Amino acid sequence: METIPKNNEQPNPTQPAPADRLAYSVQEAADLLGVNYFSIYRLIQRGKLKVCRALRGKLLVPRSELLKLLEPK
Amino acid sequence: MSTRFDDRRPTELEDKAHAEAVRHFAEQLRQFPASRSAIDRLERDIAKIGLAANMAASKPTRTGSVIQADDGADWHKSVELMENIFLCHRPITGGAEYAVVEHFPARGTNEIWNRGGNAAEVLRMFAQEQRQALLVWTEDMSAQVKEFLAEKFPGQDMSRVADSFMHRLTRAGSQQQSQSDGQKHSRGVSI
Repeated sequence: METIPKNNEQPNPTQPAPADRLAYSVQEAADLLGVNYFSIYRLIQRGKLKVCRALRGKLLVPRSELLKLLEPK
Repeated sequence: MSTRFDDRRPTELEDKAHAEAVRHFAEQLRQFPASRSAIDRLERDIAKIGLAANMAASKPTRTGSVIQADDGADWHKSVELMENIFLCHRPITGGAEYAVVEHFPARGTNEIWNRGGNAAEVLRMFAQEQRQALLVWTEDMSAQVKEFLAEKFPGQDMSRVADSFMHRLTRAGSQQQSQSDGQKHSRGVSI
């Protein structure tokens, strides 16, 4: 399934809707998956969730990685 | 008098920036110390938890609810270590095998983090990895706070605010969050 459910966010015309974005912060990823933040950092630390870094070093979780995580094995 | 910026009193702008960062990252400020405390407890109780798992595994009728992990085997839950994370055991020829298993509600799967024939050793490996994950979290938070401050207060030096925030994040919990905003924070980041 290609759609990641949106969180209860207010629409912000200056930013693309969460479902349209290519990557998410760790907090957004945790909210989308319904897990706590530490679960995401654990997955990153184990290499089970590949991330990239924004210019200032903030971790970004690609949308494709989140979808991969949700795929049944 | 000591201030949260230690060497000199924060400016009004720094105070405002700090308050905004605290508001913006409130959930992280709540979850981080809770996660660290869970690891502290786990490290402190490794022997006790390991023994409980050994005893559960040695009983002829296996106790604990059974889950199927991603290796396809059935595992008996011994102890809940953290939210959705369990120390489990299963019988093998000549003894028992232990594993730390995390349940992922989004996928409905149970994934094995660590496994081995010694419960205490499995727990130690798991605890060590949790410390490393906490370090990843700390580094990411530092970057997030700097980004937040740079976007909110462009052109301003907010390094002391970022330091103070990180100190609050990494020290909260160990001080039972007894210090209110603006009290006795010193600089520096550590776990």
